[in-house]
Amino acid sequence: MKRATALLRAALAFRFDTLVARTTIVLILGIATVQIVGVQTYRASLSADLSDATEQRLADRLLTIKRTLAGLPEGLREDAAHDLSSGAIEAHWSKDERAVEADATNRLWTDLQTRLIELAPELGEGGLIVGEQDGASADPHVALISMRLSDGTWLNVSLLSWTPRIPGAPQTVMVAWMIAAVALATAVLLVRWISRPLARFAEAANGFYTTGKVAAVPETGPYEVAVLARAFNDLQDRLARSIDDRTQALAAVSHDLKTPITRLRLRAEEIDSEPLARSIAHDLDEMERMIDQTLSYLRGDRSDEAIRPVDLVAILETVTDDQTDQGAVVSFTGPRAAVVPGRRLGLKRAFANLVGNAVKYGGTARVSVSERGQEAVVVIDDDGQGIAAADRDRALLPFVRLESSRNNKTGGFGLGLTIARAVIDGHGGTLELGEGPTGGLRVTVSLPRQGR
Amino acid sequence: MLQQSTAVQATEGKVLVVDDDGEILSLVAKFLRANGFVVSTARNGAEMKAQMQSSQVDLVVLDIMLPGTNGLDLCRALRAESTVPVVMLTAKGDEIDRIVGLEVGADDYLPKPFNPRELLARIKAVLRRSRSVEGSAPQGSGRSIEFEGWQLDTLKRELVNPGGVVVDLSGGEYDLLLTFLEAPQRVLSRDYLLDSTKNRTLDVFDRSIDVQVSRLRRKIEAQGELIKTIRGAGYLFAAAVRRK
Repeated sequence: MKRATALLRAALAFRFDTLVARTTIVLILGIATVQIVGVQTYRASLSADLSDATEQRLADRLLTIKRTLAGLPEGLREDAAHDLSSGAIEAHWSKDERAVEADATNRLWTDLQTRLIELAPELGEGGLIVGEQDGASADPHVALISMRLSDGTWLNVSLLSWTPRIPGAPQTVMVAWMIAAVALATAVLLVRWISRPLARFAEAANGFYTTGKVAAVPETGPYEVAVLARAFNDLQDRLARSIDDRTQALAAVSHDLKTPITRLRLRAEEIDSEPLARSIAHDLDEMERMIDQTLSYLRGDRSDEAIRPVDLVAILETVTDDQTDQGAVVSFTGPRAAVVPGRRLGLKRAFANLVGNAVKYGGTARVSVSERGQEAVVVIDDDGQGIAAADRDRALLPFVRLESSRNNKTGGFGLGLTIARAVIDGHGGTLELGEGPTGGLRVTVSLPRQGR
Repeated sequence: MLQQSTAVQATEGKVLVVDDDGEILSLVAKFLRANGFVVSTARNGAEMKAQMQSSQVDLVVLDIMLPGTNGLDLCRALRAESTVPVVMLTAKGDEIDRIVGLEVGADDYLPKPFNPRELLARIKAVLRRSRSVEGSAPQGSGRSIEFEGWQLDTLKRELVNPGGVVVDLSGGEYDLLLTFLEAPQRVLSRDYLLDSTKNRTLDVFDRSIDVQVSRLRRKIEAQGELIKTIRGAGYLFAAAVRRK
């Protein structure tokens, strides 16, 4: 059952727009056309040959019978005619003609008449009638040929089943189909051979997009593909260099901002007005967070932290307690511990971003963790407006900020979700955006409980 | 709420601040002086050595990005000839992991841009620890503290449970646990505990010490009670503590 559905799925998954599929379809159509036309031509020429031969033979026989009978006395003629009959030919002698002239529309008889006179002009001397048997019970497949002898008597020859039989040629057709099959298989292999490098292009392009790393495509294969590969690699390199330049500039700016922020923090300590000092500290926190996020994004969150067993519950408690201390309404439910292989600081950063987002955009955060099979699943719900299904993929992209109405209130570059997903990806887990029970955003993070 | 500077004592200790940014140097010096420290400053390794020779220093705050000498080398050299505690300032938070691995011998690390109050809390904690080590010699002075199979790495600020699982602590929980570990089997008053954990940042409002203790208990007491509540007096850390 399982196997059947798997097969069905594979069949459904077959794509008709691939190079291999298209080539196969075109080849099958082409070969089928050639086969059909070929068989038809073969049959036509074969039947022409066959009827030529049969007609020649017929003409010769008729001539022999006519000559023999003409040279015999009348009393012996019927017996001789009988002796000369054989197989499909039955000859009789009579005083008058038996055949009825076929009307002009019956091509079979008129054609035969013409052909016989062509092949043996002697047959036509005195008169030759090709037609059906005189009489109502005439079998349309029985032709009757009446020839007038020189003395005015008639020789009537009935001709059984006058339809030249064309032998089929099953062997020939089978060989032709086998050749077609071999050609088809060869063509499929050839196209695969040509199109395999193309799959590497897609792989490299996707890899470059997701990891930002240049994966050069081997510059081999057919000439056109090799040229394309060279151009593609060149494009990748130039893109990577341009991204690197910008990244370094951005990193340098972000990094250099740390010194003035440190100074500002120290200066803020000298301010006597507590509300002012507090709000300045708050602004500085925000700036620092933005710089941290930018730098951590630019580093791709590839920290030096080693993967070790970490307790997710402790991390989530730290994160939710921190939000509670800042006045947010945050709840947490879960077991006493949920251990996954991971990087403590990376995971803390990821969940701090996710819970922080929930509080920022959704007012509250309800965090829960549970162990489902081989995964630990963290669900974070908020009471905001959520993210429309169509926007969810975009929300995970860097520097994308979906909320238009709340821009002023919320700092950040739109890196929070991006970083969180990068961290989760780095742990072999998944991060999905969905809708919570109150219509707010639900973020579901699954992390494998065993190392990969 | 903002009352921490009312009880400025004559001197909390003498601190040498080493940083190549003149402004930060003077601002940190000013801030620490306002909080009761005697402060001297140095802009590079040579000045630092001169300061160390001319007077007794209780603690060095060292910026890792010094010109001339690498801050890490400077710290190693310093450690080779003196036991003075060192708090290191580094550029990135994530770099701390790497630096700790290099074993340069600093007692604590703080990423830039640091919060001045965090720096103050760290300096006080390191000084308190170094004094308690001097006072009650039996303990070692290593970076790892053990209790009931748990291990606290005071450089990475990382707690590992008996099963080898890393258990995350918030800044406040870490400070609280460290305070308990420095004085095991002693009753610590709420005021004493609060003093060791409060004012990490200006923005966050302080939780009562009871909340902090209950949060810490939630994380470390899966196997049994470690922190005892002494009614009317405070809390007591019951487990045996060993430094490595």
